[in-house]
Amino acid sequence: MTVNDWDKLVSGVKAGDVRSLSRMITRVENRADGWKKAMQQLYSSAGRAKVVGITGSPGAGKSTLVNALASELSKRGKTVGIIAVDPSSPFSGGALLGDRLRMADVAVNPDIFIRSMATRGALGGLCQGARDVARILDAFGKDIVLIETVGVGQDEIEVVKTADCVLVVCVPGQGDGIQALKAGIMEIADIYVVNKADRPGADEVVADIEGMLSIADQGKDDTAPVVKTAAATGAGVDALCNTLFERLVHARNKEQWLDKRVREEILSLVETQIVESLLSAWQESGALNKMVEAVIQKKADPYSLVDALLPDLSKEALNRQAARATKTIQGPENS
Amino acid sequence: MTDNAKIRVLIAKPGLDGHERGARVIAYGLRDAGFEVIYTGLRQTPAQIASAAVQEDVDVIGLSILSGAHLALTKQLRQQLAARNGEDILLLVGGIIPENDIEALKQMGVAGVFTAGTPVSAVADFIRRNTKKAA
Amino acid sequence: MKDDKNKDQLCPHEEQYLDKVAKAREQWEEKLINPRLKRFNMEKANTRFYTPLDRAGSDFLESVGFPGLYPFTAGNSPLEFWKVHARLAAEMGFRPDWGGTRGVGKYGGFGTAGDYRDYLIRMHSMGRKGGPNIAFDLATQCGLDSDSGQAVGEVGRVGVAIDCFQDFATIYEPYTGELEIDKVPSNFTINAPCCVIIAMYAVLAKKRGISPAALRGTPQNDILKEFIARGTYIYPPGPSLRLFRDSLVFLREKMPLLNVNSMGGYHIREAGATREQDLAFSMANAAAYLEAGVEAGLDVNDFAALFTFNAFGGSMEMYHEIAFQRAARRVYARMLKEQFGATNPKAMIIRQPITAHIGCSSTTLQRPLNNWIRAAVGGIAAGMTGAIPGVFPPFDEPLGLGHSIEATQMQFDATRILLYETGITDVLDPWAGSYFMETLTDEIEAGALAEMDKINQMGGTVAAIESGYMQKAIARSAYEKQKRIEAKQDFVVGVNCFTSELELEVSINRDVEPTYDPALMATAEERQIESLKKMKASRNNRAVASLLNTLKSHAKDKDKNLMPDICDCVENHCTLQEICDVLREVFGEFTQAKL
Repeated sequence: MTVNDWDKLVSGVKAGDVRSLSRMITRVENRADGWKKAMQQLYSSAGRAKVVGITGSPGAGKSTLVNALASELSKRGKTVGIIAVDPSSPFSGGALLGDRLRMADVAVNPDIFIRSMATRGALGGLCQGARDVARILDAFGKDIVLIETVGVGQDEIEVVKTADCVLVVCVPGQGDGIQALKAGIMEIADIYVVNKADRPGADEVVADIEGMLSIADQGKDDTAPVVKTAAATGAGVDALCNTLFERLVHARNKEQWLDKRVREEILSLVETQIVESLLSAWQESGALNKMVEAVIQKKADPYSLVDALLPDLSKEALNRQAARATKTIQGPENS
Repeated sequence: MTDNAKIRVLIAKPGLDGHERGARVIAYGLRDAGFEVIYTGLRQTPAQIASAAVQEDVDVIGLSILSGAHLALTKQLRQQLAARNGEDILLLVGGIIPENDIEALKQMGVAGVFTAGTPVSAVADFIRRNTKKAA
Repeated sequence: MKDDKNKDQLCPHEEQYLDKVAKAREQWEEKLINPRLKRFNMEKANTRFYTPLDRAGSDFLESVGFPGLYPFTAGNSPLEFWKVHARLAAEMGFRPDWGGTRGVGKYGGFGTAGDYRDYLIRMHSMGRKGGPNIAFDLATQCGLDSDSGQAVGEVGRVGVAIDCFQDFATIYEPYTGELEIDKVPSNFTINAPCCVIIAMYAVLAKKRGISPAALRGTPQNDILKEFIARGTYIYPPGPSLRLFRDSLVFLREKMPLLNVNSMGGYHIREAGATREQDLAFSMANAAAYLEAGVEAGLDVNDFAALFTFNAFGGSMEMYHEIAFQRAARRVYARMLKEQFGATNPKAMIIRQPITAHIGCSSTTLQRPLNNWIRAAVGGIAAGMTGAIPGVFPPFDEPLGLGHSIEATQMQFDATRILLYETGITDVLDPWAGSYFMETLTDEIEAGALAEMDKINQMGGTVAAIESGYMQKAIARSAYEKQKRIEAKQDFVVGVNCFTSELELEVSINRDVEPTYDPALMATAEERQIESLKKMKASRNNRAVASLLNTLKSHAKDKDKNLMPDICDCVENHCTLQEICDVLREVFGEFTQAKL
């Protein structure tokens, strides 16, 4: 990919060309050379879209819900980008991405763009990857970006934390109700959705959630609402949409949360960059292989090896480096 | 830096044919061959297939057709892909395709026809040889 | 229920004898097996031998019984008409095509109704006078008219296009006089819109002044397997079963000579299911249909006697397919008796035209003549399960362009050779009591029952379908099988072994009787659309709208039987899609679960 190729893609995205959009997503997801510069170029065009995360255990009907929600949003004049995440096979590295199958209704709606993403096994890589794709969809002009994950891995929960609003989807009849959901998922919800609410047990799930919330939220001024839907028939989706719009101008957009998210993104970029650069250098010079050999031969322990090989990480050196870099950042004092 | 690029394949059943065994076996097989496989299920219109292929930026589209409607459906799909700037996507057809129709399909731009009994590994190899991973 | 191999129930004499056998077996293994294992460097022998030890505690009367008596393991009947008349058939040189005027003709259908009618007229002139055995095109099977956007390319292709009553009546134009519809039966391979086709049949009779009660035949009417394996569904499972109930009640009341359905796991196995899944899912589906009848207040001893099976699946594993048939008969009979309280033997048997076979997916495209011997294995298995030793399919099945007259001749002769030269049908259930075959039968039954239990735990077949469980299970089995073949764990001759250039591709001349003129096929869609347009312009559209409205409001009431409304709609020229669309509005459409 040359600079020229990237330029073409970026202008294509800004001009609303779907092919450019999907090609850019591929290359950014693949971390093709030059991807960061391209993201820099796009950044100013982004920032308008609202990102909604949808998670919950398998079988909750998330894809069907996303389909119904996107359809409703489109009826209300919103353009929508959907990112549907599925796990990669740890053995082959491949993936079966089947969420689109449940989104046939909106598959040829010109206002709706659906992209299936595999987790690709990277630790923490998914969070940034989905964030980037959401940003590209944002720059393309999508009003709303829906990110659907599986909700059983830590990665997926992290992805959802990049959203402006998080929907946690539960269904009646899943063993011992909401206890089944992994700890941590329930706490991130802005809206609880009880899907397949036409089945027996739906009201019990609502009661369970409200009960849990009343304990946890004592003293808080704003409790996450619980909404019932039956996405397969569309029931309750209209009300969900209303609730969603209400929440989007609520809690998560407050200064505190924005600060947290931006902080998280910067740190994540830093972390990835450092690891990539270091490992690349160590691999090229053969240092990594030597380290591995040494540990296997029991000639050294991994802790001391890493300490010895890391560049100068003394507090003074790092502070000096940070001070130098800070002077170059434009802030309110020196703009 | 690790090479993150994956070959992306869309497996689609256009038209009304409901026999899914071949499509599902290929989908699983290509996943195990390391590809990212988007499977859209039954009753896909050519417009839905083309739209999905372009949005997902797939390298390959694999059509599975056992109803005999392969010529009409492939033609429609090519039109839909052209309208969306997706003609560069490698197009493969599998299922029940009479020998006499293979040339006609190739004329339409189909790169390979894989009928019953073709091992998944042969399809995977063909795809690898005929795609350039996005760099 | 498996036979209880409870040694406490053995009498001392029997127990003594079994000890003797056990000791003898040990010695045999010591003397003959172990040295060979050593010599050939094997951990386990790849052969087996069965003895009375494997059947300790089993009860012949309880688990096998007699042909024609519960639990029907040994067969549905001790003496079938084809066996009685076998000698006569040979002396007369009987040919099984086209069914004479007692049965249905060859399964077929293509193009417009007029195209198919003309074909049937040609067949009649050649003496092939069987009743219509109709294949419908995919648009019709999916409740769509020929002018639907989704029907492009599909009209008249895998079957005949039926958009309205006029089309249906056209097919029956040649069926008058000695071939009048109360004299010849009809088969309809139709599932999702089955109610509409049954209505057309009833209305046809009415228009001809014939009582629908005189009509015979079989609609397939097995919607549940469509969700699992065949894919031509319209509505979700719940409403689909409601439509089934409506058809069942209507048929028992108005058309009591018509079979209610033609069920079975054939498509399920062809889609990749294991033998146990085939039997389990078939039984789970049958149970759902039976429950629909019971809930409607019908007597199972009456309506279940009109349930039929199309076929189950098959494979090249001959012993297993024989055991499968035995297990299937026993499982079904026990289910009817214990779960549904049936007492009428006719309601407890599996009425199917064929029994064991190899399954079309066992045939190969490579060296296709070999499929002849493959199919013969199926015939041998069938002959050993109480049926005509039918050799099926003809060798050129996988070539996909129709069966040639040469392949059909070879198929007939192979069946005749098995029937007349081998004597395999002279003994009923020849494997009855075999230590091996009874054990295998029990194993297949146990596997199926375990799977049926699983489905019950999920809430029955509808729940298993909606969650995608059955579809996923079959997809996985299909994939496992493919992997085994590609890894050469399973051998398929000519496909993954014995494929060097030294091997000969033996071929013979193939003449496929032209059924359908390609020039006609090329214009079928446009001609059909044109005729549909004309029909719509010439009918009473006010009546159409009003009747569809009535249908819609009645559809919302689960207790209402929609057959009378559908008959009215059909009679007044509502199209198939117009009727199905109204029901789509009320019932919604089925969307697949994820893979």
